[in-house]
Amino acid sequence: MSLTPLKAYLAGVASVAALLLVGSATFVLSGWYPMGADEHHHPLTYKLITVLRERSIERAASDIVVPKDLDSPDRLLAGGADYNDMCASCHLKPGKNESDFSQGLYPSPPNLTQISMAPNAMEKADQRRFWIIKHGIKASGMPAWGPTHDDERIWNMVAFLQRLPELSQQQYQILTARGE
Amino acid sequence: MNRSKWITVILAPAALISVSTWAHEPSEHMKTGEKADCSAMHDMDHSKMDMNDPVMQAMMQKCMHQNHGEAKGGEKQNAEHSGNGRPPSNAKADEHSHNH
Repeated sequence: MSLTPLKAYLAGVASVAALLLVGSATFVLSGWYPMGADEHHHPLTYKLITVLRERSIERAASDIVVPKDLDSPDRLLAGGADYNDMCASCHLKPGKNESDFSQGLYPSPPNLTQISMAPNAMEKADQRRFWIIKHGIKASGMPAWGPTHDDERIWNMVAFLQRLPELSQQQYQILTARGE
Repeated sequence: MNRSKWITVILAPAALISVSTWAHEPSEHMKTGEKADCSAMHDMDHSKMDMNDPVMQAMMQKCMHQNHGEAKGGEKQNAEHSGNGRPPSNAKADEHSHNH
């Protein structure tokens, strides 16, 4: 029995698909994939994941409305104290260039004391930061703070992040101290 | 109901309650948290300070609030030391001066 060219083509595609499926399942179930955070991705894999992450966040955050009063002193004080408690151990603070977390996590958490935004990019940066703080990032060590912190509290942290790169150690200490 | 069901009935709400206490409440840290080092503000060059800058306003707000709290605490301590629970005489004088 001879196959028509179309049927032969379809049979070939099905065979390749089945082979890929079996190969992928074998790889996943074999345990060969190195899962340790100290063994980094191939640069191409890392690039693909980065693009996937950034495109996903950009799309999800595009409709977020940024409050107009992010430069209020009250927001800076409230957000500063929370940043110091929740974020500084990974994302660092003025005068500190590394920590156990910043060195051990993979991907390495960005040093937020060194990332300042141009005024025309500020709104997108604020939307992005709000979304990331609220929802976290899968398999990165960045938790979702949304389940335990309301939106206002997250916006306070976004407000603080705007000014963080320009703070001295003394300014940071005063703005983030929680004690009375 | 068997024993394991009883344990589930008791432990599940207990676990939920304990999860809710993990939420990070600012008020929990107020008393034990680090105080602002406002002495650093005295060392800053005041002529270069921009009082319209929200960072500067926030620092002033924090330090004024803290100084006010410390002054109140000091008054309370003085009152306790005087033994009669009343504010010290200079505090009273201040209070009077506001009325004039």
